[in-house]
Formats: sequence, C-alpha cells, structure tokens
Amino acid sequence: MPVALSLDAVRVRYGKTIALDGLSLDVQRGEIVGLLGPNGSGKSTALAVAAGVLIPAEGAVTVEGVRRERDPFGFARRIGLVPQECALYDELTAAENLIFFGKLYGLSGSDLRRRVVRTLSRLRMGSHAATRVGTFSGGMKQRVNLAAALLHDPAVLLLDEPTAALDPATRDTLFADLTRLKEDGHAVLLSTHHLDEAELGCDRVAVLERGKLLAAGRPCELLRCGPKDRHVLYGHLHAKLPKFRERAIRQRLSAKVAFDITGRRLRLAADSAEELGLALAAVLIEGVEIDTFRTPVGTMERALRGEPDLPTVASATTNH
Amino acid sequence: MDRLNLILTLAAKDWRLFWADRRAALLCFAVPVVLASAFGLIFARPTQEKSATRLPVLIVVEDSGPFTRMVADDLLASSRLEAVEVATRAEANQRIAERRPGVAIVLPQGFEALKHWEPGIAAPRPRVDVLHHPTASAERQWAEGVLTDLVMHRTAKEAFRDAPGDEAALALPFEVAAAAVTGSSGARFNSYSHSFSGMTLQYLLFWGMESGLLFLRERQRGVWMRMRSAPVPLWSMIAGKALTTAAVALLMVLVTFGVGHLAFGVAITGSFLGFLLIALAASALASTVGLLVAAIGGTEARARGVSILVILGISMIGGLWLPAFLLPGWLRDMALSLPTTWAMRGLDGVTWQGHGFIAALPSVLAISGFALIFLGIALVRLTQMERRLRRGMA
Repeated sequence: MPVALSLDAVRVRYGKTIALDGLSLDVQRGEIVGLLGPNGSGKSTALAVAAGVLIPAEGAVTVEGVRRERDPFGFARRIGLVPQECALYDELTAAENLIFFGKLYGLSGSDLRRRVVRTLSRLRMGSHAATRVGTFSGGMKQRVNLAAALLHDPAVLLLDEPTAALDPATRDTLFADLTRLKEDGHAVLLSTHHLDEAELGCDRVAVLERGKLLAAGRPCELLRCGPKDRHVLYGHLHAKLPKFRERAIRQRLSAKVAFDITGRRLRLAADSAEELGLALAAVLIEGVEIDTFRTPVGTMERALRGEPDLPTVASATTNH
Repeated sequence: MDRLNLILTLAAKDWRLFWADRRAALLCFAVPVVLASAFGLIFARPTQEKSATRLPVLIVVEDSGPFTRMVADDLLASSRLEAVEVATRAEANQRIAERRPGVAIVLPQGFEALKHWEPGIAAPRPRVDVLHHPTASAERQWAEGVLTDLVMHRTAKEAFRDAPGDEAALALPFEVAAAAVTGSSGARFNSYSHSFSGMTLQYLLFWGMESGLLFLRERQRGVWMRMRSAPVPLWSMIAGKALTTAAVALLMVLVTFGVGHLAFGVAITGSFLGFLLIALAASALASTVGLLVAAIGGTEARARGVSILVILGISMIGGLWLPAFLLPGWLRDMALSLPTTWAMRGLDGVTWQGHGFIAALPSVLAISGFALIFLGIALVRLTQMERRLRRGMA
C-alpha cells in the first residue's frame, strides 16, 4: 500500500520545551497506526503537525506527496481531523454540522447532501440526522465527530484520543468503524494511552516518550520485552510502609535493584528475573503485605508507565 | 469554493448559532427597546408651549401686609411656577433639604416696604430669601427670574395705581420670541428619539462584545482545531464572523427604531439615507468591536470585565444615556475622540433634529474611521496570534 502520511524528522518546540524531537513516521493507506505514550509524550503535537495545524520548527510533513507549505488547500483536503474534544456545534443538528464542515471543504449541492446521508448511515447515525448534537450521548457525538472528518473522503484520518470519554462498548464500536475505514483504504493515525486499543485496534504502534520515538512496530512485537530490558514489577501495598521497614528492605537488596515506594505503590526493577524474584522475596520477608502486583507487558506498557532508560529508535517509517 | 461562498458559509453558520437560542436572541432586541422606552419616559418633556414645564417652588409669606399678599398670590397664580404655600420657613427648609421641591421663595418681614418703592430714590431695600437645594442652582435662577418679573410688575402697578390705562399698559415693553434652532424648522426635542438612539448604540456595542466573546470561546473549543485544519484561511473566518455580527447589529437598529416609531413616534425627520448610512457604519463598528475584543481580550472573563467597563464609560461620555450638554465642557471636548459621540450626534441629527444627508456625513465618516482602525488592530493581532499558535509559541 502507498504511504499516505509521512512525518520526516519533525521537531516541534513550545518555547524552550521540545515537544517532538526528530519524529519520523509513515502511515500507509489501509493501515491503522497508534501513537502510544503517557501524557505529555507528544502524541497530540504529532497529530497537530500531521494535520497542518502546527508548523514544525524542523522536518517535513507530506500527505500523498503534498506538502502544506506548497499547497495548503490540497494538503488540508487530504486530511480529516477528529480532535480530542468533540469538534461540533451543539446548537446545530448532526446534518447541519456536516453540511457546514462539508462546505468548508468545497462540497456543495446534491453531492454534499448525498455524502451527509451516506456518512451518517455508515456510522449508524442516519436516524439522528435532524437531531441537535447537544442532545447526543458521548458515543453518538464521537460518531458524528468522526463523520465530519470523513465527509470529504480524506486519504488520512487523524484521531486524537478518540476513546477518551467513551465506555468500553462504545470504544469497541468505534474501533469496528475505524477498521472498516481502514479496509476502505484510509490511512488512520490515532493517539491513545490504552494498551488494549494499541494492541487490538492498531496494525502498527509508535511509542512516544518526551517527544522521542521509543519504539515502533507491530503490537505483538512491542508486547515482548527486549533482551536488554530490565525486569520490573509494580505492586500495591496493603498499608503504607513505615520508614524503618523501608530502610530494612533496602539493606537486604543488592545495589543493582531499584526499589521505589510512592504512598502505597511499590516499584521493583532488576537486570534479571532471578534478581527481581530475590528482591520480591526480600520485601515479603520484612512482613510487607502486597494486595496486587503485575509486571509490565513489553515496551508499550513500560513506555506508558514512564520507565526510565528505554532505548529510542530512529524512525517508524516503512523503510525500517 | 470561491472566497465569497466560503465567507457566506461561515457567516450563515454564525447566523444559525445566533438564532439557535431563540429566547436569548429575542432578548438581544427586547432589552434596548425596554431600556430606551424607560429612558424616554423619564426624560419626556411636553412639546406644546402652553403646557411648558412649570417650576415646582414653595412660597413662605412672613409679612402680613396686603402688598406682600398680592405678590404671594401672583407667585401662586403664575403659569411658570407650580407654587405651593407653606406656613413656616422651617417647614420650607425641611422640604428643600429633601428636595421636595428644590427651591423656596421667602417673602420676609419688611417686604411690605417695597410697596412704596420709587425708582431713583435711595432707600433701604427689603430682602427676599431664595432657599434652594445644593443641586438646584438652575431652578434657583429660574425662580429668581420669575420673582423679579412678578415683583416689578406688582410694584409698577402700585406706583401707577392712579394712572389711566389698563393692565396691558403695565406689561413688559418687549415680547420674547423663543425658537429652538435645529437642522430643520419646527423640530422639537423628542426624548424617545434620543433614548432609542442612545440605547440602540449602547446595545450594538454590547452585541459586538458578546460576539467577540463567542469568538474567544469558539477558539478554545475543539471545533476551532477542526476549522484550522480545514482549507479555510484565517481572514475568511474573521470576515464571516464580522459579517454576521454586523447583520445582527443592523437588524437590531431596524427593530428598535421600528418599535420606537410604532410605539413612541420616533421618526427620521432628516435624511433617511443618512440614517441608513449611520446605521450601517454603527453596525460595522459593533462588528469590529467584537473582533477587537476577541483579538486583545485574552481570557473570556477578563475580556468581559474590561469590555463592560469600557462600553459603559464611552456610552455615558458619548451622551448615550443623557444629552451630552449636561456634561462638563472638558468632557464634551474629550468625547469627540469617541465613536459613540459621533454616532449619537449623527442619530440625534437625522431623527429629531431633521439634519440632511450632508450634515450626517461627518458622523458616518467618523464612525467608519473608528471601525476601520478597530478592524486594522484586530486583524494584525489575530494574524499574529494565529502565526504564533501555528509555530507553537502561544
């Protein structure tokens, strides 16, 4: 499939803060790519750059070979943006909203009306065309929000945390819609901080951390730990740990083991599974009760949890 | 899509949003009408000479002489006074202190001596006390004038009691012919014309502010992000917003003056074309005020607070509430630097003063000039903001 969207060594600054640090990413037609990362990792910035809303300080963005600087209107017509916040007028009906946004993209007359009916039907909102958006549920709003971005049939669909305010069932429905769009040949780039969405809904995932690309690949690849990754365990303590007991545990642990307590949250990190097991034993020997614990699943979860010292990769382009 | 269609699409969307809340939209038109009616009623003055305003005044008679009684009766019977006699000076003092009314004339002991006054003979002159509230200086002068006229008339009558001739022979040796001078002959002050002009202008500015705040609010919503990603230049968004604001403002002018005409006889006695041009210029002014609020307002709360203060200030100084002649001279001079002053002059001119098209032109040009300046500032600022936003500097 041809590359629809390409970000090439994109660098964005907000004052002195570097929001994106040389991000390179390709999205092909017929592909859903997820941008995964904790808050502040640069996901929304990457989408804003891809949408042409933000101009990068360095690097280039092309949509089907078109650069915004050379053909801003041609660039915009190839992009459909679904902002995180519902980008619709509550006071207007679903159809009125779509007609307005369609006109902004140069659509008019019977063609526009046909597209409105078709797009709303495609997203199962046909029977609500004449209803004010303000009366819709979160899921319905999100579907009309998506419809507004699809009306002009863009090559690239950008979604900023589209499931942020949705319940699990509605999330599943939305991903089913996105999968159909992908099958219709759209290139979809979305941001999320839900592991399951990245794992089950995306063909490829780009993991961002502080504006840098930590990892990129198919979800199954990123769910595995790399050979050089440290082994980590997160636990939830039954009760807050007194300082003297914390000191006693530290004395039992080797210097290579990281032991952090934040309130009732515990984090242990070691170079090997054996070392991690010994560290856990040392904690339990001190009489600490752990209600629950889990080990992060591969690079994706480690990035989401802000694990330090994760290696970065150069790009997530199709050449790599 | 051509540029005009794009602007009209954006304007039509804002027009729909304005009418989406019908009650709020209707209030936009109703509030200036209600306030203008109230102001008009409060400041209404009879237009017929015969029923000209009479000055409320208290009369205290402390001298029991017949001449004094006659003067007091003359005062009580005067068509220029609404005189009421009270028994004592103390009672007059108390009522004046409460400004019920503002002036009292006291004919004190010894006033009777005036009966024997003859011109050219130096004699001790009796005193007349005129008591007045501190805020009633104009009424005091008015009362003194009427008193002087009546006392001189009565004194002359006493002096020439034995002379042949009738009452007419003792009348003033001249006649006063007062004429109000305006753009057209026969124009009379219409408080409703003034209040409808003033309140309409004030609410145009408030509508402009509200439109600017809506623009600010819209820019903070996701919908602005979508618009910015669409093939829509910033200037089209600004033009669309400005067009709707001006259209609603023009509708407000037509509705308020329409109601004023039907209910209170507010009429365009001067140039109708002049009125239309002033209405168009004022609508454009409201629109650019909105853009200015959106451009330099910062946050919505800050913009609202500052805008209300500025609009109320320039409305008051510009003579939108009360006629500008009630303001001190220095303030009237300063007010020439405000668009409201020119707009008010223009509307007063073409409504009750009967000014022609040429006389309305300075107001039209001044208001349009202010609108252009505001538009220029707003465009520069909004463009800068958009550029900074796109570069991640905002």
